Amino acid sequence: MMKSPFFASASALCLGLVLSLGAGSQANAAANCIKGDRKAPYTIGWANIYSVPTWMKQTQGTIEAEVETLKKQGLVDKLVVTDAQGDANVQIQQIQSMIDSNVDAIILIAGSSTAPARVLADACAKGIAIINFDSLVDTDKVTAKVNTDSSQWGDQAAKFLIDAIGGKGKILILNGPAGVSVSDDRRKGADAELKAHPDVKVLAETNTPYNVAPAQEAVTSLLFANPEIDGILSLGGALSAGAVLALDKQGREQVPITGENARQFLELWKEKGLKSWATMQPNWLGAFATYTAVQALEGKDVPAFVKIPLPVIDNSNIDAYLARAKDFPADGYIYSPYDEELFKKLLAQK
Amino acid sequence: MSTVSPAKSAGALYWPVQMRRNIGVRSLFIVVLAFLVAYGVLFPGLFSASGFAKFTQSWFPLALVAMAQAILMLTGGISLAIGATVSLGAVIAATTMAGPLGVAGGAAAVALTGLGIGTATGFIVVRLRLPAIVVTLAGSFIIGGAALLVLPRPGGAIPAWLSDLLAGNTPAAFVLLVAIVLLWKLYLATPLGLSLYAAGENPVGAYRSGVPVDAARVAAYAISGLLSTGAGLFVAAQTGSGDPVIGTAFTLNSIAAAVLGGIGFLGGQGTMRGALAGSLLLSLMISVMFFLGFTPVAQYVAQGLIIIGAVAIPQFRKVQQ
Repeated sequence: MMKSPFFASASALCLGLVLSLGAGSQANAAANCIKGDRKAPYTIGWANIYSVPTWMKQTQGTIEAEVETLKKQGLVDKLVVTDAQGDANVQIQQIQSMIDSNVDAIILIAGSSTAPARVLADACAKGIAIINFDSLVDTDKVTAKVNTDSSQWGDQAAKFLIDAIGGKGKILILNGPAGVSVSDDRRKGADAELKAHPDVKVLAETNTPYNVAPAQEAVTSLLFANPEIDGILSLGGALSAGAVLALDKQGREQVPITGENARQFLELWKEKGLKSWATMQPNWLGAFATYTAVQALEGKDVPAFVKIPLPVIDNSNIDAYLARAKDFPADGYIYSPYDEELFKKLLAQK
Repeated sequence: MSTVSPAKSAGALYWPVQMRRNIGVRSLFIVVLAFLVAYGVLFPGLFSASGFAKFTQSWFPLALVAMAQAILMLTGGISLAIGATVSLGAVIAATTMAGPLGVAGGAAAVALTGLGIGTATGFIVVRLRLPAIVVTLAGSFIIGGAALLVLPRPGGAIPAWLSDLLAGNTPAAFVLLVAIVLLWKLYLATPLGLSLYAAGENPVGAYRSGVPVDAARVAAYAISGLLSTGAGLFVAAQTGSGDPVIGTAFTLNSIAAAVLGGIGFLGGQGTMRGALAGSLLLSLMISVMFFLGFTPVAQYVAQGLIIIGAVAIPQFRKVQQ
C-alpha cells in the first residue's frame, strides 16, 4: 500500500537495490537459497502432502532409491519423511519442524500453491536447499521448481482428441477436483484448441477426485443424459479408466479418449483396442528433485525452473510400456525410464 | 450449619468447583503436559522467543476452531461447516486487505461474514427446529462454494506487516489466544453465557425456568461463526495469501479436539479448557512425532493410539471405581 509518492519511490529504490544485489550474488553461480555453509553428507527432508495415493507411494519409491544411490556416494546420510495427510496447515507445521531440526534440503509437493510461501522463505533464509516439484508454490524463495507443463498437457490432449474425432463432434470433458491448480491448468490449456474448433461441442464437464469410482459414476450419469458422444477429453488417468469402464458397463461403443499412464487405463486401452493418447506426471520427478537438491548443495548452479518435457504414450509405443507393467503396482503408474544421464541433461537445459 | 456470608462462600466455592470440572479431563492435561515436556526436550529451540512463537502459531487456528465447535456442542449442536467457514474467512481477508478496504475494513468484512453466517445458521437450526448436522452439512457446500467464488484458485495477498505482526517471530498469536479465553470467561458471566450450559443440557427445563434458550443457542452459532472466520483470517496472515480450500481439514479436527477435550455430543457436558487442551494435543502430536523420527505410517497408528488413550483413561478409572 503506497501512502505517498515519496514512499513509493523510496520503496522502488529499495526494490532496485535488492534486485541488483540479487543479480550480484547470482554471478557467483550458487543456486538460490544456497549459502555454501552446508557440507556433505546431507540430511534430506521430504515434505509429502499426502502419502496414501499410489502415485505418491511410487514417487516416494523413486526418492528412496535416489537417496540410496546418493548414500553410496557419501552425499546423503539421512532421509526424513513427513506426511501432512492432505492438510496444507499441517504441511507448514512439518516444514517448520524440518527447519527447527536443521535439515540441509527440503523437497516438497505443496498442499497449497500459496500457503507454504512464508515458511519456505524462512527455510531459504537459513540456506536450506528447497526443491519444489509436482504441485508448485507461487514464490521465488526456493532453490528450484520442477514440473511438467500442465497447460501443455491440456493443449496436447485437446489436439489429439479433436484430431481423432475429425475436427467436429460432441465431447465430454473430465477434470480433476475444482480449485486445484493442476486440474485448472490442464483444463485451461485445452481452451485454445477448443475455441479454434467451434464444431467441437462440449456436452458436459465433470469435476471429480482423481479416482476411478467417482469418475465412473459421473460419466455413467452423463451417458444416460447424452445418447451421442464422439469423444472424451479426460485430463487424468484414473478418470479415463472410469470413463472406459462406464462406457463398457453401459454396453456403449468406446470412443477416442485421452488419458494418463495409469496402469489400469493402459491395460484397458490394449484390452478394448482404444484409439488413445496419454501423457504422464513422471514419478521420477521425486528422484530428480532429490538429485537436484544435492547438486545445488554441492555448489552447482541449478536453473530456478526445470521444465520436464511431457513423455507421450500413443498407439505406437503402448506395447513397450505394457511390457514393463509387471514392475508396477496394479493401481499404479507406468512411468518412463530414467537415469542419471537424463537428470544431467534436464539440469543442463536453459 | 455454615454461617459465612453468601459473597464469601461464592468465592470459596469457585476453586473447588473449577477443580471438579477438571476431573474428566485431568488425564488429558497430563498427556498434554507430557507431550509439551517431550517437545521441549527434543527441540530446546522451543524456549526461544521465535521457537515459541512458531509453535503457538501452528496451534492457534486449531485452538480457535476447537472453541468454535465446543461452543456449539455445549448447546447440543454441531457444525460441519467450520472448515468451509475458515476457508471463506481466509479468502475474504486475502482479497480485501490489500485492496481499498485496507486491513481494518478487511477484518470487519471477515468478522461480519462470520457473525452473519453463524446467525443465519443459528436461526435456521433453532427457529425451524432442523437438525444441526443437516443444516451445517448443506451450509458447508454453500459456504465452500462462496469461498471458491470469491477466490477461484489460491491467490490474493495479505499486507506483509500484518503477516509479520500476527505470524512473525513474536508470540502475538499466544497473546491473542489468552485474550480470547479471557473474553470467553467474561461471556460465561453474561446472561446469555450462563444460559449456554443449561440450554444444552436440559433445554426444556431451562426454558421453563425462564432461560432464554433460543437466544443462547443462536448466539452460540454467531460466536462460532466469528471464531471460524477469525481462524481463517489468521491462516491467511500466516500464509500471506488466500486459498479457497485451506480450511477443509478443520471441520474434522475441530470435532476431534472437542471430543478429545471431553465435550459430549449431547450438550451441556465438558469445558472449554478441555477443548483447548484437545486442540493443543492434536497440534503437539505432529511436531513431537516428527522429532521422534516416526515414519508417516507409524504416525497414523500412533495418532490413533494417543487419541484413544487420552479418551479412554478416565473411563478405565470409572470402571475401577
